[in-house]
Amino acid sequence: MRILLVEDDEALIKVLTRRLVEHHYAVDAVTDGVAAWEYASTYEYELLVLDVVLPKLDGISLCQRLRAAECTTPILLLTGQDTSVAKIMGLDAGADDYVVKPFDEAELIARIRALLRRSSTNPLPVLTWGELWLNPSTCEVTYADEPLTLTAKEYALLELLLRESQHVFSNEEILESLWSSEEFPVDATVRSHIRRLRHKLTAVGAPPDLIATAHGRGYYLKPLFPEVSSQGDRPLGGSDLEHRQHQQTQYLEFLNQTWVTTKEKYLQQLRELQEAISRRLDATRIASVGNACFNPQQQDAAYRIAHTLAGTLGTFGLSEAMRLCRELEQWLHPDVSLLPQHVPHLEDKVNALQRQIELTSTIQLPEQPSTTAPRLLVVDCDQAFANALKVIASQQSFYAEIFPTISNAQDWLDNCPQPPVGLILRLLDTVSTAALQFLQQFHQDYPTLPTAIISSQDDLSERLEVVRRGGTCFLPKALTPEQVMRAIAQQIQETSGQQQRTRVMLVDDDPILLRILPTQLESWGFEVLTLNDPLQFWNVLEAIHPDVLVLDVQMPQVNGLELCQVLRSDPHWQQLPVLFLSIFADARTQNQAFAVGADDYLCKPIAGIDLANRIRDRLQRVRVWTR
Amino acid sequence: MSIKRVLIIDDEEAIQKVVQFGLQMAANWEVLTASSGPEGIVKAQSSQLDAILLDVMMPEMDGLATFRELQLHPDTQSIPVIFLTAKAQAAEKRLFNDVGVNGVITKPFNSLDLPEQIVKILNW
Repeated sequence: MRILLVEDDEALIKVLTRRLVEHHYAVDAVTDGVAAWEYASTYEYELLVLDVVLPKLDGISLCQRLRAAECTTPILLLTGQDTSVAKIMGLDAGADDYVVKPFDEAELIARIRALLRRSSTNPLPVLTWGELWLNPSTCEVTYADEPLTLTAKEYALLELLLRESQHVFSNEEILESLWSSEEFPVDATVRSHIRRLRHKLTAVGAPPDLIATAHGRGYYLKPLFPEVSSQGDRPLGGSDLEHRQHQQTQYLEFLNQTWVTTKEKYLQQLRELQEAISRRLDATRIASVGNACFNPQQQDAAYRIAHTLAGTLGTFGLSEAMRLCRELEQWLHPDVSLLPQHVPHLEDKVNALQRQIELTSTIQLPEQPSTTAPRLLVVDCDQAFANALKVIASQQSFYAEIFPTISNAQDWLDNCPQPPVGLILRLLDTVSTAALQFLQQFHQDYPTLPTAIISSQDDLSERLEVVRRGGTCFLPKALTPEQVMRAIAQQIQETSGQQQRTRVMLVDDDPILLRILPTQLESWGFEVLTLNDPLQFWNVLEAIHPDVLVLDVQMPQVNGLELCQVLRSDPHWQQLPVLFLSIFADARTQNQAFAVGADDYLCKPIAGIDLANRIRDRLQRVRVWTR
Repeated sequence: MSIKRVLIIDDEEAIQKVVQFGLQMAANWEVLTASSGPEGIVKAQSSQLDAILLDVMMPEMDGLATFRELQLHPDTQSIPVIFLTAKAQAAEKRLFNDVGVNGVITKPFNSLDLPEQIVKILNW
């Protein structure tokens, strides 16, 4: 970021330049208004810092001239005059901010930062791109919480890319932003800085093309995340979950940072509310009337404060404060008169709200149900255990709907807008008949969803009862909430994996089979890609990355056994499930197939459902092994 | 889906920031902000927006008045508008529906969820 500093005091120039360079800004400094005009008309700056009293052309006139020439660069005025008139004159001349000398250097830098933020497309105090974080106020940079040590230019380059994250920066733009006019870097300098920055980023785990090259155009930040899918109901898979957790962590950090800067404002709004209420109550007491009615304007103003605070404090996760605001909002609604019985409690409510805000120094994860987080239905009469489970569930991006009784849970299920992704049934001691009936009904309604039953009675008959009614996970009561959550989350992930279409690569030279089997398998939820030329095997395999491979044994030029050997000779493909499908039913061929790495062997002809079941079974085994 | 450009009009700066953070972080959308109805209308006229998130209760020009104003301008009448409100009563939702807004999102929210909610509401 390049800044033009216009100041006739050489000593101040020296101090300010040093301070700005420490914050990774490139600085051009001139000592009179005419030189400033020439520099500002010739070079591109992100910010102009102008002294008001300048030789040749004063700061106010310079400011007016720049604005008349349609220069939109932010301008910060420095002056010794601390009067409203002087400030108004400066701001009316087109300045964006005004700092009075002597000033605190840290405040000046903060104001510069704020002005630069406002003029960028990313006005947030912390710049982020996926897992990359850059905090301009501390100059700290991290990737996935790993700190990066950058040179001043590398830092400035990264900040530039982050500030305009949807812009492709040409070499010229980067040179103009990052180097002062007295330096004469060449294009190769930009390239070498980009190279070093990429190297440092990849060293901490960032993808090598995080800073992407648009050939012939420049550099930009490559979007990291998959675009938002319109299929919002899809359960989250493993990497989605991790990604979501990381986002939640960053969101929480962001809320905390914002809370620090806005908390005082909310307290101020509350003080206004308190004063309005106190004045009203005093007036009522003096007049010795029982009804402490606000006039309509007062009541409307108080209502608006309560309403706005309800939404905002709720978004910060202060659920108790939000509840108090909602109550006040209801009492103060402009369409209804304040009820006499509410009057004595108004001050108490506002004071309680004030305490809630004052006591909140750290924002916790918002407690309101996330509208899109997958719901986990939990029936547990042990409140402490259920609460612990809820916290752990939210850390894994689930929202636990907790009910103390089966009938409460049933009520919720009857009315829930979207079905849960799993059920945890934690029972007192033994599994009651009602619990078994509930489990059976749940399994009938949601046959593919995992259900964890937690019981202190651990014997075969109980386990049998549970699995007969559709239970997929039987857990002893001694397990901790973390262990319970881990078990159910694993099953949910597996279920979500199964629901995503499994990609099957079918290699066979029989055209009829290649026509029929895909249709049959697709009706069982598989995506089938066929290949009739074994010589194209490797190219197609690498291109489509199948989840399962189905091979014929006998094919022209290269047979299936050889293809399997080729596959297994590559470490990357050793986990891929391979099923042989052949007309050879003899033991020798089958043994050969298993010897070269087959996982299963099936004989033609085969029904689609049989092949589908064998594929599904193989995938399930693989998932269990790779846990 | 291409990158969307969304305008948030809310007099509460913290809500602007939180919405901006969520839409950028979760979906990499471009987010413009405005602190009042009139400011939002000016930005909407010049910014080629894909959607507007509009706070209902704002001083001077509230969300409903802003929405009606947006509907009057040929440049802005076809931009989808979603109300942000701390009220969730059915009667108010019906009123919003009757005036023709595309949807309502209730505060409080986790702003990381907003892109999915918006995608659903607007059938993107």
